[in-house]
Amino acid sequence: MSIRVLNPNAEVLNKSAALHMNINAAKGLQDVLKSNLGPKGTIKMLVGGAGDIKLTKDGNTLLKEMQIQNPTAIMIARTAVAQDDISGDGTTSTVIFIGELMKQSERCIDEATLQFLEKFKTPVVMGNEPDKEILKMVARTTLRTKLYEALADQLTDIVVNAVLCIRKPEEAIDLFMVEIMHMRHKFDVDTRLVEGLVLDHGSRHPDMKRRAENCYILTCNVSLEYEKSEVNAGFFYSNAEQREAMVAAERRQVDERVNKIIELKNKVCSGNDNNFVVINQKGIDPPSLDLLARAGIIALRRAKRRNMERLVLACGGEAVNSVDDLTPDSLGWAGLVYEHILGEEKYTFVENVKNPYSCTILIKGPNDHTIAQIKDAVRDGLRAVKNTIEDESVVLGAGAFEVAARQYLINEVKKTVQGRAQLGVEAFANALLVVPKTLAENSGLDTQDVIIALTGEHDQGNIVGLNQHTGEPIDPQMEGIFDNYSVKRQIINSGPVIASQLLLVDEVIRAGRNMRKPN
Amino acid sequence: MKEIVTVQVGGFANFVGSHFWNFQDELLGLASDPSGDPVFKNDALNMDVLYRTGETQQGTLTYTPRLLSVNFQGSLGSMSSFGTLYNEVASTPPDVLTWTGNVSTHASEPRKRNLFLQRLYEEERDSLTQENAINGGKNKPQRETEDEDIVEYLENGVQYWTDFSKVHYHPQSLYEMSGLWMSVQEFDSYGIGRDTSWALREEISERLRFFVEECDHVQGFQFIVNDSGGFSSVGADFLENIADEYTNTPVLLYAVKDPGSHMIPKSQKQVVSKNLHDAISFSRLSSFCKLIVPVGLPSLRRSKASAFLCVEDEKPYHCSAVYASALHAISLPFRMEPLGPSADSCYFSGAVDIHGVVEILAGQARQNRVTILDVAMPAPSLTGKQVEQSFLGNLQTLTPEISEDVEDLQAVESMTIHGALGSGGHRALVSEVKNMVRAAYENATTRPRFCNLSVALCPLPIPLPFPKIFGNLVGQHGELLGSPVDSPLRGSLDVHSIPLAARLRSSSAVLPFLENRLGNIRRLGIQQGAAGAEIVRNLGYGKDELEDMGETLSKMVLELDPYSQMSSDSD
Repeated sequence: MSIRVLNPNAEVLNKSAALHMNINAAKGLQDVLKSNLGPKGTIKMLVGGAGDIKLTKDGNTLLKEMQIQNPTAIMIARTAVAQDDISGDGTTSTVIFIGELMKQSERCIDEATLQFLEKFKTPVVMGNEPDKEILKMVARTTLRTKLYEALADQLTDIVVNAVLCIRKPEEAIDLFMVEIMHMRHKFDVDTRLVEGLVLDHGSRHPDMKRRAENCYILTCNVSLEYEKSEVNAGFFYSNAEQREAMVAAERRQVDERVNKIIELKNKVCSGNDNNFVVINQKGIDPPSLDLLARAGIIALRRAKRRNMERLVLACGGEAVNSVDDLTPDSLGWAGLVYEHILGEEKYTFVENVKNPYSCTILIKGPNDHTIAQIKDAVRDGLRAVKNTIEDESVVLGAGAFEVAARQYLINEVKKTVQGRAQLGVEAFANALLVVPKTLAENSGLDTQDVIIALTGEHDQGNIVGLNQHTGEPIDPQMEGIFDNYSVKRQIINSGPVIASQLLLVDEVIRAGRNMRKPN
Repeated sequence: MKEIVTVQVGGFANFVGSHFWNFQDELLGLASDPSGDPVFKNDALNMDVLYRTGETQQGTLTYTPRLLSVNFQGSLGSMSSFGTLYNEVASTPPDVLTWTGNVSTHASEPRKRNLFLQRLYEEERDSLTQENAINGGKNKPQRETEDEDIVEYLENGVQYWTDFSKVHYHPQSLYEMSGLWMSVQEFDSYGIGRDTSWALREEISERLRFFVEECDHVQGFQFIVNDSGGFSSVGADFLENIADEYTNTPVLLYAVKDPGSHMIPKSQKQVVSKNLHDAISFSRLSSFCKLIVPVGLPSLRRSKASAFLCVEDEKPYHCSAVYASALHAISLPFRMEPLGPSADSCYFSGAVDIHGVVEILAGQARQNRVTILDVAMPAPSLTGKQVEQSFLGNLQTLTPEISEDVEDLQAVESMTIHGALGSGGHRALVSEVKNMVRAAYENATTRPRFCNLSVALCPLPIPLPFPKIFGNLVGQHGELLGSPVDSPLRGSLDVHSIPLAARLRSSSAVLPFLENRLGNIRRLGIQQGAAGAEIVRNLGYGKDELEDMGETLSKMVLELDPYSQMSSDSD
């Protein structure tokens, strides 16, 4: 109450109104995101005021595009986006789950559910050769919720192969080593995996080759452009000759660096028809490009910082920071390097590499919003594969886990608690059902029938999920519908926490600059 | 040719930038206009320094600013973030190629183009049809009245910086930050800017790389950032990244403040918060650039800089126009083609690149990175003896919190005068201007140690969307009239071009600016039981970091005043 005294102008909502406001906010978000869930959900096309288009079926993307004002809604949205940051998927589930929890207006017992999740999960042995089929099933489950089936199935192979390509035994998977590149192409919708790299720039000299086979790759971070020296070399020259002499001397240093590269090229390429490609993180100015072109070298400047790492993983060799200690050992290798030009955009493909630990997923699409949507889906797919490898387990999907968890809570856990807490367990259990319910709703099925059918099967001890086409129960294991263990775990972890925190709010005080104008 | 990449971060920075690019666009237009003033038609200024040539997928050639603009989602008004040139012809309704299930469309209310943008759009369409049917000048009288409507409309209707922009932008240029879920007022906090996601920073630097990769030899970055609120920290992070990635490329940083951010805070807490904010923001920004120019007076209207102007402080559209004019003048020498040390063109003299300006101002005996921006808008005509006496007095500062009349023998200056008028309303020759400035300095009581002078013949063109801010003493070509004309406010329809003088000054006059910030950081942040300790914690800074900032600031003070009291009182 002391706060009210301090600021008499602040609006104060009392306990019931505060609860109401929070529940409404959660419900509002749930309503918006609900229709996204599952392979039968609705894709959303967002058209901005200036005609910009965004396509999304991803809860994370949708949330980021929304202009959320309500503080409670922002809290929920933040939780959901954090979910995406951690596990790459499950945003929509988080939001609708929180919404449902809030509606059920109870808090407690995620512990029991988590324990159940541990029991329920299907362990997958990864070992040295991960089971590709399981990975594909997980990837397909998530991709099919974002893209239509044929496209999702095509991408499934790509994302699984991409992750397996960059996977090193005994090391955490770094998904940044999968570059996602896009091209805007008039008629083409196509995605392919390039074992190697695609860079979004080309050489800047007309005489350099546009296509070369059997290439040595020099990855370097050396400035090959004339820069005024940092040292205060005196600003004033007494005459023009002195100035010229100084410029020439500084220029000579750059030329020497270029010549060292040319020397190395001559050393490794003499007597064979191999080629030499320089990919530099720093700049290369026209005189240096000239020198390199005359020596038959292809040179790219200002490569992405992250690509320097990827190049070395894909082609071998090492990234050099100085040309003083150049040896043939620092060179990488690629079977084919070629340039592709689309309008003002240039792409350089570095392909046929020996032991790729880095690869590129190349997305072609007719417009930016299609590309952006495929990109989001590919990211989710990659994360799903990575999670599976790292979790070493998966969870049966199609709503099977949620129904099973509910059964467990009602039949086992409820009996172990006393008094009012029983109601809490029941509420929590029922909140879990929102996933199969929404899946059914989005498929145009009767939610009551579906839930009765599913719980009936579970009572008989059959673990089933929902067939979205027929509304019949199916065995997710047979159909290959698997969700990530870490995604489910995260949802159960964060949903009740945020919900219970919001429910603890007794009073909402709105104060501040724009106090009297809501919006 | 040495390219410049321009970066604009924040709302007001983009207002300034929008005016800046309007000037460039006007210059390009006047140069290609067969009936235009010949003074604009020389190749002395190399626009390729600021612009890039490109090609759309349809094969149309484009010429767009080498610019990266960062702002809020929704701050582009009716402009699409893909710019205007590279759009494919919209197929309505666009088909969804990735989903066979249901599609729900959520369209926001289309934002209508305002009168001015409508007119640009129509002109573009007309110019396409006119190539087939030659009938120019038929509906001219009708246009005249429309011009006035447009100017009138812009005076009151400008909401977004795109409302008065007549430039085509490249799709990579306009970046909107999404997923922040907060209003502009809420973003007005340094700490919040620090929280912006890492993916966002990656995306910004990726876009910058796109522009830099094309450059054969980038001479530097021209960076305009809002020196308040969250954008300042977004800008600082970005600058840190640039300093890391393009180590030897100089950054010329304009830290702009819109007059709104000078609002008198209501409570003691707000005062503390604002002061700390300014200090932290300045210290962070200045540490990642070669030269920082604080721009933005608390009240431009009442300042001496607007002696011949009537600026309304509450309109960013007005204030940004003045600042943009000064920035334009400063950027002229970067675009002059150097002819060798001794040769001089009759159109300009004093070519120098960003690196050169940095060397002149910050690389001499005193390594002072903070410079003052002065402007004379419009610059006086070079008539009679008295201009030699009064010319320097016309240059008035746009940098806040500096002391006047400081005698600083170590001061260094870099001045640009362009389009100056001589006797009888003719353009003064380059040599006349040079002689006048020399005489002016000889007559002055205090002289800087060194002054670099750049002169161009070409005046500042006033494009149609320029605000009505000229007073009634400014003539059609920016000459100062003896007696006031009737209309109290004159805009782009009455004034076609103005001569301008702008100056960057490295002088100890900036000491109060630095000392205020140093004092604030010590008093409010570092001291035992400081009033702002809580705020600092909320911003996510530890005491060590704050002490480092204090250290940086006190070094800057020491550089200018070796005997400063401030520098030694740290316990």
